Amino acid sequence: MRTLVPFLLVLLAVYRSAAQQTLDEKVQNLIDLTSRTSVVKFNMDKWKNLVRMQPRNYSMVVMFTALSPGVNCPICKPAYEEFMIVANSHRYTSSESDRRKVFFGIVDYEDAPQIFQQMNLNTAPILYHFGQKHQGSKKKPEQMDFQRQGFDADAIGRFVADQTEVHIRVIRPPNYTAPVVIALFVSLLLGMLYLKRNSLDFLLNRTMWGCVCLAITFIFMSGQMWNHIRGPPFMINNPQTKEPSFIHGSTQFQLIAETYIVAVLYGLIALGFIFVNEAADMTKDKKKKEKNPNSILSLISVPANTLAIIGLVFICIFFSFLLSVFRSKYRGYPYSFLFA
Amino acid sequence: MTSSASFRNRNRVRATTLLTIAILTLAWLAGFASRLFAIVRFESIIHEFDPWFNYRATHHMVQHGFYKFLNWFDERAWYPLGRIVGGTVYPGLMVTSGLIHWILNSLNFPVHIREVCVFLAPTFSGLTAIATYFLTKEIWSPGAGLFAACFIAVAPGYTSRSVAGSYDNEGIAIFALQFTYFLWVKSLKTGSIMWASMCALSYFYMVSAWGGYVFIINLIPLHALALIVMGRYSSRLFVSYTSFYCLATILSMQVPFVGFQPVRTSEHMPAFGVFGILQIVALMHYARNRITRQQFMTLFVGGLTILVGLAIVVYFALVWGGYVAPFSGRFYSLWDTGYAKIHIPIIASVSEHQPTTWVSFFFDLHITAAVFPVGLWYCIKQVNDERVFIILYAVSAVYFAGVMVRLMLTLTPAVCVLAGIGFSYTFEKLLRGEETKEPAPSTASNAKNKKKAKFTDTSNGEEAGVSFTVRALIAIILVGLLVLFVYHSTYITSNSYSRPSVVIQSYTPRGGLYIMDDFREAFHWLRENTPEDARIMSWWDYGYQIAGMANRTTLVDNNTWNNSHIALVGKAMASNESAAYEIMTELDVDYILVIFGGVSMYTGDDINKFLWMVRIAQGEHPNDIREANYVSASGEYTTGAGAPEAMFDSLLYKMCYYHFAETQLGPNNQIGYDRARGYVIGHKNIKLEYIEEAFTTYNWLVRIYKRKKLPNRPVVKKPTIPLEMEKVSQGKNKKGVIRSAKA
Repeated sequence: MRTLVPFLLVLLAVYRSAAQQTLDEKVQNLIDLTSRTSVVKFNMDKWKNLVRMQPRNYSMVVMFTALSPGVNCPICKPAYEEFMIVANSHRYTSSESDRRKVFFGIVDYEDAPQIFQQMNLNTAPILYHFGQKHQGSKKKPEQMDFQRQGFDADAIGRFVADQTEVHIRVIRPPNYTAPVVIALFVSLLLGMLYLKRNSLDFLLNRTMWGCVCLAITFIFMSGQMWNHIRGPPFMINNPQTKEPSFIHGSTQFQLIAETYIVAVLYGLIALGFIFVNEAADMTKDKKKKEKNPNSILSLISVPANTLAIIGLVFICIFFSFLLSVFRSKYRGYPYSFLFA
Repeated sequence: MTSSASFRNRNRVRATTLLTIAILTLAWLAGFASRLFAIVRFESIIHEFDPWFNYRATHHMVQHGFYKFLNWFDERAWYPLGRIVGGTVYPGLMVTSGLIHWILNSLNFPVHIREVCVFLAPTFSGLTAIATYFLTKEIWSPGAGLFAACFIAVAPGYTSRSVAGSYDNEGIAIFALQFTYFLWVKSLKTGSIMWASMCALSYFYMVSAWGGYVFIINLIPLHALALIVMGRYSSRLFVSYTSFYCLATILSMQVPFVGFQPVRTSEHMPAFGVFGILQIVALMHYARNRITRQQFMTLFVGGLTILVGLAIVVYFALVWGGYVAPFSGRFYSLWDTGYAKIHIPIIASVSEHQPTTWVSFFFDLHITAAVFPVGLWYCIKQVNDERVFIILYAVSAVYFAGVMVRLMLTLTPAVCVLAGIGFSYTFEKLLRGEETKEPAPSTASNAKNKKKAKFTDTSNGEEAGVSFTVRALIAIILVGLLVLFVYHSTYITSNSYSRPSVVIQSYTPRGGLYIMDDFREAFHWLRENTPEDARIMSWWDYGYQIAGMANRTTLVDNNTWNNSHIALVGKAMASNESAAYEIMTELDVDYILVIFGGVSMYTGDDINKFLWMVRIAQGEHPNDIREANYVSASGEYTTGAGAPEAMFDSLLYKMCYYHFAETQLGPNNQIGYDRARGYVIGHKNIKLEYIEEAFTTYNWLVRIYKRKKLPNRPVVKKPTIPLEMEKVSQGKNKKGVIRSAKA
């Protein structure tokens, strides 16, 4: 009795695989399919045979996506690229036995909408893992949570490792864009220097250097680094009134719009101070009969007095404006200047 | 005639000196006084976390002497590993306060070392103001120096780390920083070996005081390099830099914690590289006059290529061979902003290492933030050797401050110097515009200048330019802005930076002041009621305080040198009771301490830090702890109804909410309403099996649990088994038993 059970099972298996493919055939088939492209592109037949039918002693990691330009899916493309990085790394770096355990596949909506219907899917991209034991359409396969884990190659690799215990060393093809851009920029700069080699005076132009340094300070003082790291929205709409708000009401958060406002305000205050000082300089210049044409404002013939007043107005208005922006974020701050 | 002029000059010099001294003294006093809010409100107490360790170390040093301190092995921390304190601290702070204590005691002023520690930072703020005055004086003018000194005395960005009781390295390090910069600029200006040696000595003090010395040892070489590139090489630069570098490197190696780092880590290599470049440049200058142009070009191009190539190859060979350590993780995180979050969660978890919002820039700098670009502008416009330094300092510091909130501290001095220059330049232009006929430059009082301006204005009439009215108006408004800055600084210092964080202050709904002293209550309980050698497990934030106030052994503390040990504690907190018990038995834990804010509305508690514990534990034990298991299905972090099972089972959750749902917190709240997070907790009925509650403070802020000793043999659980038996037997009694009796 006891020896009979496996025997019967074997018989059953042989009987079933006679109708479809045997396990070895399936694996061989998959290896053939992935020998050139590293992912299997599924149509309905392959899908039924390779994923839906038991027996399987391998895992399928399948991405459901919609890559055709007709479908509006902005994140499908980057997700697909990351997925391909994982699949390629698997193909080139994993050991022979690992490669027989895990296969990567892709279902494009355009090629096989039936599979989407069968799986009851109406969003993309989705990454499913069909484990060895997984069978039938009753149970949902394991899905990777893009919301929480993100979809970059490392995260996908971790997901695969979690699910199948096959660790894939993700090798990202080196991204040449940044070095190329930098190289182009440097060569442009060097080229310009070479063309202007007879008059390198502009390197000694203090106004230019001043502008560069001031730009750096304004950029960092207005928290652009924070924006770069945290990636806040440009502005937010109030859900009730639909009114856009440019300034976030908390000190721990900021919107891109408000950092621009602040950078401009800092710049205008500094400009106000410079106006005041230039105006005072003009007085002396007049005495020297305007010997110094280097001054930036010498081109605009504004009377010194007016210029000083403009500078003063700049300082007052924009500083009090800055203060009120600050007050709107920092609740309970008691001091204001000119206007609340 | 000449004698009277010189007499007048001498008088003016005297008046200026008197005024300068008076202003600096006042700045010192104002800076000192504005840092005393915490002391006036609470008492003379050490704040925060790190200061407690510094205080403990200082106390140890004063008791046992300096050499014992250098060899101190602290077996009360990092149990069971221990910590070599002498070799892992910057001893400058302890030595400074120990020295002050010794001097006062030898002058027969018996002061407790705690008072010295508490008042050290405010005292040094005055010295910082003076150092800033000298630095700005070298860079621009004495008037600008006075402005800068006044700014730095009250600037919130600096006050934040130097209020009374905040006994930390930064308190004295900013003084050392500014003083080193002043001496560097001075030595560059004079080209004298004496000033360069003084600079190296001051740098030595800085190295012994704070890890931020790396900023100096990179900024000064950067300055030297910039000067070379700009064609401003001079023998003064050569003399000052080479003597500074050699002395500074040797001196900095005398600090045990630094040791051989100056020659063995990549952070120090740029300084060495510039040292090499300077030798080459000096050689070029020497050779230029002695050989032909053709030879010079061959020497220049050929020699330079070979040398640079060789230097790069040697550097990488040394790094590869392990003789020179590559750049550290903290250093990378300054450049590659995504680095820390992926590779070193323990650095990313510290709130000081977050990037800076524009609000904190304005918060810490106020008007000086708006004016400092003006100072920068004029420094660039009228550039000279020493102004290059402040330009580089400002631009690099503003970058670093943007990346990390904590480095705001290094930006503040640069901002104060440049804002001082900006204001002083503007005032000088406005108030002294017409009196260029006066030969001697004066820094006499504003009133005097105003008068003079008035005279000249009335004599020259309207056509001369900016009229007197406008000048006066501008001056008055600028003074108004400065007054606003002082108000702002005082307000910020009083409201934000004078919180001891050992004592928590809040307001009742009626507006009354409510002080929660739970931390000290709990630590005092530990000190009085636990055995001397009891081991206390808590999250690392509280390690120093437990050691300092309760004098008990801790497992992990704020010196986060051993990530895997911290991860073990995180794992214990995140595991269920039985798994945690195993870990705690292995680590010999007697008591567990958690901070819980659900009753007192304290949001900085362990529940809110829990995700970091999980993350750090996951980094070391990825098979046991998964962050994904601790967030709800929708990916939120919560302890409410939607929280996952792993959260409810975790030791931390159980310890925090044990008996919590049995109290009614106020008339309108539901049972089990967590006031810090604003919802009702998920599991209310919590049973503890392996630990028992030992102590909970008045506001439930600190809860202490005791690890139970295992019983000798497993106890048959009485409440469940007999009940079931009874039921079964009752059921059978009616039929079965009677039948059997019959049979």
